[in-house]
Amino acid sequence: MNIDVCIQTQAFDMAYAYKDLLENRSDVGAVVSFTGLVRDFNESPDVTGLTLEHYPGMTERTLEDIGKQAWHRWSLQGVRIIHRIGYMAPGDPIVRVSVASAHRRDAFEACDFIMDFLKTRAPFWKKEHARDGDYWVKERESDQQDATRWQGG
Amino acid sequence: MQLTHLNANGEAHMVDVGAKKPTQRQAVASGRITMQSQTLQLLADGGLPKGDVIATARIAGIQAAKRTHELIPLCHALALSKVTVDFELDMQNNCVHVSALCRLTGQTGVEMEALTAVSVACLTLYDMCKAVDKSMRIEGMQLDTKVGGKSGDYQRGSDDRQVAPWVAGESATGEVHLGDRCVGECVRVKFLAELRERLGHSDLSISLDALDTKDIAGLKSLLGARDSCFDILRDQRTLCAVNQVMVNDCARLTDNDEVAFFPPVTGG
Repeated sequence: MNIDVCIQTQAFDMAYAYKDLLENRSDVGAVVSFTGLVRDFNESPDVTGLTLEHYPGMTERTLEDIGKQAWHRWSLQGVRIIHRIGYMAPGDPIVRVSVASAHRRDAFEACDFIMDFLKTRAPFWKKEHARDGDYWVKERESDQQDATRWQGG
Repeated sequence: MQLTHLNANGEAHMVDVGAKKPTQRQAVASGRITMQSQTLQLLADGGLPKGDVIATARIAGIQAAKRTHELIPLCHALALSKVTVDFELDMQNNCVHVSALCRLTGQTGVEMEALTAVSVACLTLYDMCKAVDKSMRIEGMQLDTKVGGKSGDYQRGSDDRQVAPWVAGESATGEVHLGDRCVGECVRVKFLAELRERLGHSDLSISLDALDTKDIAGLKSLLGARDSCFDILRDQRTLCAVNQVMVNDCARLTDNDEVAFFPPVTGG
């Protein structure tokens, strides 16, 4: 299984995961990548930044497990998951998921699946910093619903 | 961003903190006094004419923290629960680093108390050493960290941005002890993210023998019986992992298991 998970405090190079997936191979037919970014407008209209906490150890295990589930479910050639932790400013990338496969449908669906499971299973918590104080971001019901789309499939 | 000590007319006023909920507050401030290397050597050797310089400066810093409200016009009088003032003699850079920690459970922060303690400790060092060295400089006075309160946690970073702790297991609200030092078989319990801040605990050690049933349900009822704040663990949105795998209330507990309670996840 060609799955790689990385949790890091530094900003990541958006192109790296993509290049790394394709290095020394010509059998890949499709790469789908998703990037999640910090917005300046969420629960508060003037978010100045956010701090991401995680549960070291469990985070890596959970993401690897999600990658493996996708690997068994679709026909994939590579999976890269990069997630930042610590302080981030609006506009900064938070997460990058890249999936390689021979045909596009597998890559599209696997990338979608990984993000749905990451959002509802991986132990990350966002604390947003706004002008009038800090607060913990609430979970979204729609994320839970999105994740149920993959049940029974 | 508004200056809270000014009212709508731009006049100075004391902020009414009566409606604020008391929380645990802590602040650490630091500064330094640089001097000639001979002065520092005299200080280290205890050869200065006014006697034990460091002990005197420490008492001065602690006294000053307690009297901050008499010096800074709009500061409230606070019942500090802890004040420490520490000194580090830095022979390489010819200076004494001074740091102060202030803590209380109350309705307003203790940054001014920590900064005042550092200032007065430095001034006392100056006074005690000025007979031999008038060129000393007091420098780099700053707030290093602040925990608790509405404006959130502050930690001086390399880039001076607001940074809250992100590594699980570090107490964000100061240590509050349940007095349960574990003997024999026990489980380590962690509270993460918002749960840690609401409960005021990051890590607990619980004896397995204290549990009615050696499972998550038993652990929840033990904690709930100790303090009603732990009832939040029974909220069905609160998640639980044993040895970093998600579990439900029936999960069995054995010696040295790591149990983590946390709120719904919000990554991505």
